[in-house]
Amino acid sequence: MNPIRKKRIYSILFVFLFSVSGISLILYSLNSNLDYFFTPTELKDRNIPADKRIKVGGMVLSGSVERISSSISFVITDYENSIKVEYEGIVPDLFKEDSGVVVLGNLRDKILYAEEVLAKHDENYMPPNIEINDDN
Amino acid sequence: MNLLLKLIVFIVPTIFLLLFFMILTNEDTYPGADYDQFQIPEFELKVLDNTMTVNNDLLNGDYVLNVWASWCITCIIEHPYLTSLSKNGIPVIGLNYKDEQEDAIIWLKKYGNPYQTILHDYKGNLALDLGVTGAPETFLISDGRVVAHYQGEVNDQIWNDVFLPIIKDRKMF
Amino acid sequence: MIIEISHFLSVLATGLFLLVGYFSILTPSSNSSYISNLIVRTYSHGFFFLLSSFLIYVWLAITDNFSVQYIANHSNTALPIFYKISSIWSAHEGSMFLWIVFLSLWGFLFNIRVKNNEVLKPKTMGVISFILVGFLIFLLATSNPFETILPIPPLNGADINPVLQDPALAIHPPTLYLGYVGFVIPFASAIAFLLYGDSKINWEALVKTWSVSAWVFLTVGITLGSWWAYYELGWGGYWFWDPVENVALMPWLAATAFIHSLGVSIKSSQLRIWTILLSILVFSLSLFGAFIVRSGIIDSVHAFANDPDRGLYLLGFIGLIVFTSVFLFILRLSSIQSLSRIKKFSKQSFISINNILFGALIFSVMLGVTYPLIYEFLFDQKISVGAPFYNAIFIPIVALAAIFLFFSVDSKWSRSINFKFISPPISFSILLSLAFTIFVMQYFESHSISILASIFAGSLIIFRYIYEIVNFIFTKKFINPFSVIAHMSLGLLLISISFNSLLSTERALSINLNTTESYKDLKISFKDIGVENNANYDSIKATFLVEDQTGRTFNLKPEKRRYFTRGQITTETAIHITFLRDIYITIGDQLDDGSWIVNIQINYLIRWIWLSALLMGLAGVILVFSNSVKT
Repeated sequence: MNPIRKKRIYSILFVFLFSVSGISLILYSLNSNLDYFFTPTELKDRNIPADKRIKVGGMVLSGSVERISSSISFVITDYENSIKVEYEGIVPDLFKEDSGVVVLGNLRDKILYAEEVLAKHDENYMPPNIEINDDN
Repeated sequence: MNLLLKLIVFIVPTIFLLLFFMILTNEDTYPGADYDQFQIPEFELKVLDNTMTVNNDLLNGDYVLNVWASWCITCIIEHPYLTSLSKNGIPVIGLNYKDEQEDAIIWLKKYGNPYQTILHDYKGNLALDLGVTGAPETFLISDGRVVAHYQGEVNDQIWNDVFLPIIKDRKMF
Repeated sequence: MIIEISHFLSVLATGLFLLVGYFSILTPSSNSSYISNLIVRTYSHGFFFLLSSFLIYVWLAITDNFSVQYIANHSNTALPIFYKISSIWSAHEGSMFLWIVFLSLWGFLFNIRVKNNEVLKPKTMGVISFILVGFLIFLLATSNPFETILPIPPLNGADINPVLQDPALAIHPPTLYLGYVGFVIPFASAIAFLLYGDSKINWEALVKTWSVSAWVFLTVGITLGSWWAYYELGWGGYWFWDPVENVALMPWLAATAFIHSLGVSIKSSQLRIWTILLSILVFSLSLFGAFIVRSGIIDSVHAFANDPDRGLYLLGFIGLIVFTSVFLFILRLSSIQSLSRIKKFSKQSFISINNILFGALIFSVMLGVTYPLIYEFLFDQKISVGAPFYNAIFIPIVALAAIFLFFSVDSKWSRSINFKFISPPISFSILLSLAFTIFVMQYFESHSISILASIFAGSLIIFRYIYEIVNFIFTKKFINPFSVIAHMSLGLLLISISFNSLLSTERALSINLNTTESYKDLKISFKDIGVENNANYDSIKATFLVEDQTGRTFNLKPEKRRYFTRGQITTETAIHITFLRDIYITIGDQLDDGSWIVNIQINYLIRWIWLSALLMGLAGVILVFSNSVKT
């Protein structure tokens, strides 16, 4: 092989390896930083590691809201299954019992420790399809 | 090297375009339409002229529930279509949403009343339970269950694309 | 009648732009002086028709002409004139109209500023005109702002979303649009250049000032948006990685890379391929932004509700633009390629590396925006990509790019000789930056590698340029003022962001009336709370007396408003601004025991983040003005 061709092959190989490793690094960090969205029912049979951030959406169960000083706890339900949420901070303006809510946080011992609570009708609310099935 | 570059600049936009094309033409993503089915939550509301109180039991059968308000401009635009639906024998029930009673009555005098009954949801409680985010929004209701929900103006196209397939499917009206 | 006139003028403008496009691109002799004169005149007429149409539309909005459906939907008789005008761009149809008018404005400025004998001018005008025609048809056919309400128009107009009545919100979209569409000039010239295929033409020099101007608007627009979100939405941050913020960030990153490689291509044609690709990329990303916001496929604070036809039309048109450009690029690739190689450790080499790094950033943001869509489409599972992903990507790549920038200060154009990694300025800056970083580590007890790395990278840049400035004062060694200002602001930006995330804290307190709570060094006394009745809303207004460690006191009055007609609740934050930090209070709900929940944030150096971004923009302004003085 002549040296020019050899050099060219090396440079192509280099570009290829470099971009493949770069893209895989980006994809890897994307995959490890995704927030998955669940409803309480979907959460039931799933084992989610405590360090994984998840989003859970549903309705705030009426009568479940308890405020202790500046922290708040409540139960999210999809009318089949429910999950308890604990949160430190101000809940959004439109947060109330029997209305839709999305919580971002970590799940430990069946309790969702929230980092962020978004209420339905909030400017920041991303409407997910919370399926409130009462077929069965 | 050149060939590689040529391939990349061609393939990358192609992938994105195809992807967005598929997402846009995906049937489920008709924006504003929502096919989740659920029972109408229990409620008790006065009708707009305060003559009676309506609850779940009084509203049965198949009907279209239209959320409107006098402050809503799109409702004016939607209004002729609702009137034609009503003339064609489809029962349309109004849910007056977060509106002053007098304003709503003046509005109806001005534009006409296509509704069989109008519920006055001043605080927006029933609307909230139904998942209303604004006005106008329209629900298709069959035997006390919501079977389709559309956010935004209902016109001929939306009626045919979103509501009519379900109406035919369920043999409503 | 007047509505129809305005409508008709837009249609007429579309026809004229179509003629311009036809004459300049599809006729073989577009460079004869007769044809090029015709192109220049026809374009100007088209622009004046479109501008008059828009001005009439503004007048319709000011005079509350609610026969126009769009105006009735988005304006109200009670609004001040300023907001009547800004209501035009508060939703899809009107903002698209403004977007197109701005696009034609850039074309018009180019048309009158560039001499007729410039060989690329006719074809550039032609490309701009074709793009205008495409978007005007989109506007008039799928989202017509001139639609009327018959027979009875409403009396007062709509009730306006109160969040939208805000000065920063009124001016930040137009600024951003000016930035987005400004890149039509380099794009159209690049296409004109590719159409000619003559590598001797220096198209890069023609578009430099234009590109930098557009970049300035984009920079300022993004900064204004960030500032607005900070005080209006009540969450206290300056950047949320919201999809719509991301689609503004991508063209900015591409544009930054573009104006750097433009600088190289003007001096030597080595990065020409990069420059052309980037000019296509910047404009495509701007269009992609318009597509994402207007097709309704992404839910966001900013998204306009929409129907799928609009999305399909936009996608088709953008696809046409992108594929035509890519096709031309592939066709001409071999004839425009530069044969000279880039030398190691020359300025070009550093700029090329940073181009690649910026490409990786753009790719990551693109992935973050589109991946949730793909994922849901394929697996029917909702996911979202949040700040952790972007932090994991941006911090190392930006720190790396800053280090390459740091070394590039010493490098020379097109020369690799005598590049020393250990020279007085380099060792001086590295030592000082290390000292500063260690100081931060010890004093603030921070062990977060990403924060320390960003502080180190930021201070490297600042110290290196301080050395250059000192050198300039004593030995008159030439420095490039825009480069110094822009890059030092980047250093300042990195440091401000790092300190902001290192020091800022927030806490929700429950506090009773007439009691005092302390948080960090602050003593917060709850003085008063009351309900105020206003014309269209009720508000709960609280008064807090805050005392900091130096004994200074000030009042903060956060509010919560409830608007009557729509029942919308908004949070009005109270912010006390000092040199280094903001004290930011929002009020929440009342608890059963009568106390109130109050959220207190102490945001460090947040003003410095916007200040450094604006300084970057200022560097661009200086560059534009010094260039236009020269010519």
